[in-house]
Amino acid sequence: MSDIVCIATIILAGIAQASLQLSLGGLVLLYHNSLGKHRRRKTRHLAKDYIFGSCAITFLMVCTLCFLIGNFFSGALATEWLVICAGILAGSGIAMWLLYYRRGKKTTELWLPKPFTRFIQKKARNTNDGVEAFSLGLLSSFAEMPFSFAVYFVVANCVLHMNGVYQVIAVVIYTVLTAVPLIALKLRVKTGRSAVEAQKWRVKNKAFSRIFSGSAFMILAAFVLTYWVL
Amino acid sequence: MAFKKKKITYEYSSNDIKNSIMLNARSINLPEGWAKQIATRVAKSVDEWIADKEIVTEGDLRKKIVSELKDLNPDLAYAYQNHDKII
Repeated sequence: MSDIVCIATIILAGIAQASLQLSLGGLVLLYHNSLGKHRRRKTRHLAKDYIFGSCAITFLMVCTLCFLIGNFFSGALATEWLVICAGILAGSGIAMWLLYYRRGKKTTELWLPKPFTRFIQKKARNTNDGVEAFSLGLLSSFAEMPFSFAVYFVVANCVLHMNGVYQVIAVVIYTVLTAVPLIALKLRVKTGRSAVEAQKWRVKNKAFSRIFSGSAFMILAAFVLTYWVL
Repeated sequence: MAFKKKKITYEYSSNDIKNSIMLNARSINLPEGWAKQIATRVAKSVDEWIADKEIVTEGDLRKKIVSELKDLNPDLAYAYQNHDKII
């Protein structure tokens, strides 16, 4: 498979994962709680650590799956596994179109178990230092795993098809792409906007973001089927 | 006076109301003095509202606070009402 197809798949997968809302919601929550308690400078540091945490789990997950595929699937996923991944991606896309957000007009609550949501809210409320913010970033990205796991598999498979020199660069590009919404939010808050404005924007555009996420997953599924299976 | 939260009864505290309003006010970059004024005014009117009641639910208390905040600062009312509905 050519490097261009690999890079295109990685970029598409990065966009699909970046459109997931849990880690972004976690950062909004962290901003909201931290700005109420701490100075702006400390909040900026906490947000930076949160983003590092989120990036760290993405980077490590892709590297781990590269290692597993390299050792247990003889360097590349078999066609059947790619079909399963594409099926899961398509299923995730349809699930996002239909039931990504809970019903209700003025919220961006996701279909997560309530105790888990409360746990993240409690963690965000009690985050006072960098390590806690880092672990909150890890946790919120980890919680996206039901949707992002198939994406990680596809990305790891693409990375293993690339030349050795470009493999690490590809994983870094993917990791940065997934963090773009978080970085954008950080920049907006840095320029004086509040987390509430960001949340209002999320509520206003929630239908768009749901359709965008679902479509991105569906397109990725179609891309995997077209270029990697057929 | 007391209020109910998930079948647990708590003693009502005017200071808790003020503190939670202050937290939300800081998170939307409201100036400290203005935030204090709003918190004091809302706490006072909630005190008057709750005075003749033996028990109220947390939902009713929140609704009252939000309705008071809406008149004084809609952004703060939004932040207060929706801070637990982000994820």
